[in-house]
Amino acid sequence: MSLTILTVDDSRTMREMLRLALADAGFEVLQAEDGVHGLEVLELAAPDVIVTDINMPRMDGFGFIEEVRGDPRHRVTPILVLTTESDGVKKNRARMAGATGWIVKPFNPVTLVDAIRRVAA
Amino acid sequence: MDPLAAIRDTFFQECEEQLAELETGLLAMEAGATDSETINAVFRAVHSVKGGAGAFSLDDLVRFAHGFETVLDEVRAGRLEPTADALKVMLRAADVLADLVRAARDGGGFVETETSAAELRALLGGEAGDDDAGAEEDWGDFAFTPLGVADAAEAPTAGRWRIALRPRADLYAKANETALLLRELKRLGEIEVTLETSGLPPLADLDPEAAYLAWTILLTTERERAAIAEVFDFVDGDCDLTIEQDGADPLADAFADEPPAPEAAADLDIAALIAKAQAAAEPVEAEPRSAPAPEASRARAQEPAASSAASPTIRVDLERVDRLIDLVGELVINQAMLSQRVLEAGIARASGVAMGLDELEQLTREIQDSVMAIRAQPVKSVFQRMPRLAREVAALTGKQVRLVTEGEGTEVDKTVIERLTDPLTHMIRNAIDHGLEGPEAREAAGKPAEGVVRLSAAHRSGRIVIEVADDGAGINRERVKAIAAERGLIAPDAVLSDEETDNLIFMAGFSTASEVSDISGRGVGMDVVRRSIQALGGRISIASRPGKGSTFTMSLPLTLAVLDGMVVTVAGQTLVAPLTAIVETLQPKACDVHSLGGDARVIAVRDSYVPLIDVGQALGYRATPLDAATGVALLIESEGGARAALLADDIQGQRQVVIKSLEANYRQVPGVAAATILGDGRVALILDIDTIVAVSRGADLARSERRMATAAG
Repeated sequence: MSLTILTVDDSRTMREMLRLALADAGFEVLQAEDGVHGLEVLELAAPDVIVTDINMPRMDGFGFIEEVRGDPRHRVTPILVLTTESDGVKKNRARMAGATGWIVKPFNPVTLVDAIRRVAA
Repeated sequence: MDPLAAIRDTFFQECEEQLAELETGLLAMEAGATDSETINAVFRAVHSVKGGAGAFSLDDLVRFAHGFETVLDEVRAGRLEPTADALKVMLRAADVLADLVRAARDGGGFVETETSAAELRALLGGEAGDDDAGAEEDWGDFAFTPLGVADAAEAPTAGRWRIALRPRADLYAKANETALLLRELKRLGEIEVTLETSGLPPLADLDPEAAYLAWTILLTTERERAAIAEVFDFVDGDCDLTIEQDGADPLADAFADEPPAPEAAADLDIAALIAKAQAAAEPVEAEPRSAPAPEASRARAQEPAASSAASPTIRVDLERVDRLIDLVGELVINQAMLSQRVLEAGIARASGVAMGLDELEQLTREIQDSVMAIRAQPVKSVFQRMPRLAREVAALTGKQVRLVTEGEGTEVDKTVIERLTDPLTHMIRNAIDHGLEGPEAREAAGKPAEGVVRLSAAHRSGRIVIEVADDGAGINRERVKAIAAERGLIAPDAVLSDEETDNLIFMAGFSTASEVSDISGRGVGMDVVRRSIQALGGRISIASRPGKGSTFTMSLPLTLAVLDGMVVTVAGQTLVAPLTAIVETLQPKACDVHSLGGDARVIAVRDSYVPLIDVGQALGYRATPLDAATGVALLIESEGGARAALLADDIQGQRQVVIKSLEANYRQVPGVAAATILGDGRVALILDIDTIVAVSRGADLARSERRMATAAG
């Protein structure tokens, strides 16, 4: 059975790129536009891996990760942070919040799928 | 379409939105907004542009956006004060960013970024060159994975590595998993795994969320250390990890600091243990479940304002919408034809068929409105271009300007919006260049040095009204009259009301600037603005108060697809007059109509006389004018407020008609704006009232001149 991936990103461009890369790799793709929307999607779905942006309106990636980790249903779902910030501060904050790993933008489909495979059971 | 090309399109569309967002945010900050939501939105806008640009390898854009973002990040962190000067730098940077985006989109040439980039660096103070260095560092990680592959090629000889891994509870809390790490290691080569269970407490003391196990892995691989380290990239800091090249004496080293694993522990039934641990975990879960709940509601409650903007949307090809609108137009016509047929067949009004038709008519109207609403867009997209224009014009003229926009959410048909840009651009330019005084003159007049240009939009009785108002000197009527007389537009001794004087600026060939300035003097006058507004079925008027400023008011139809019309009969033809132009209809009495010689006639309407124009004659349907007493007069007000009465044979009634372009299907005909198809299936022409009035005036003039010439000869 193919894995289901939830992507959370406010940029339409990024969402389309993620969808293209993930669908090409044979994953089922769910998408949300920000943290709040992501949590709404998680009410109804149980993705195998979550890929989230950091800078988003309404609820940013840090807040989103904390919420997900606090939800018994999703607390062990791997979360990859997708962000242009490769500096240690952002990465560390994401990890403190409970991120499993990260993908540095701009990603190519290979690095993206590789990172997902690394954290997906 | 190639999916990547489609995403590229999306990226540039999104860029436009982000740029608009950026400008709005910066302007809000300039107006004093200091809330974190605004600053964050501004930051995100630049950040998104940068992110997408990186994906498409638009390096110039990435580099500039990065420098900009660095400044915004400082502002966001409260380390940089967004002073008025700093915001001016940022607004200029936003303009450069917009230029870069467009250059990237259109494959355009070089965009000068250094000036703005240097200004941004200056804001950061002494950190010159930081952005470039940052940009490089930022993208450096990207090359990480290929690096490993390259190394493997260089070092093909197999090596043995000893990896000691002792995860901490945090590793699992972040949904990392030792088994997956082992799986990754196995991809690198041969592995030999030893589990170390000595830390495991008795079951009674076992905390299901804690980490007690450790692993030692012997890996035989051709890959470099970096490739191995990369496997543990995500768990760095959440475990004790050592990676060592396996020496001559592997085992001695591996367990030198740890006692060998006791046999008993190694034999432990792991599966049973996990099952118990899971069972034990159930009650413990209750704790983390309840704790974050209040936090969650707080986080959601903090940012409710922004959420209203994010209603779900879909993107549809415009062609599909237009096709739908066309079809609905046909449906409306068809429905009208059906109604007429039913009426002609003599079916009673109260019959089921007639009542069903009434319902159908209502439904059709509703469908039509809904479909039109799809094409409707907020005027925001046009309004958003104006602040930049205002800044540029202000800089060129040395005037201080604040552009205030209101009602950006007002919706109007997309075509109207597209065709509003040019007239609005010109009017804003005019308002600043001609309307506002220079700072000294303003202060001398007791006004603030900074002039205000107000651009607003609102819905008013089925139309959209757009106003451009300045608080400048107002129209200099003496000068306007002098210029108009000088250009032969009016007689030197003409007596004009203030309103008529103001309207002179809409006449072709009029320009108040004594020297053609760089800004407004581009061969385009207010007459062109008026014509483009008229072409949209709109009208423009001006109100001016000396010393207080001028207000230009444009009233436009919400859609170009339907029109409320008065259906009239003229010389056996059915014609439609746009309802918006009609002030009232009257039954002319013979005693009210006066001949001015020739065919020119006027009609007395209450206290004034207005020209009476026979539509049949104006359009060439008949040679001799209709006897006014047998017809019906439509009192109309043309652009600029001039009144005239159009004479028709009869009025059939008021009706909404679907506009069909005559130009697209036939050719342009003077005096005819468009055509429509009526309920009986016949084509009816829609009158272009202003042209009819102008042409018949000219014709009167030509006729009387001819007559005079004949009389003289």
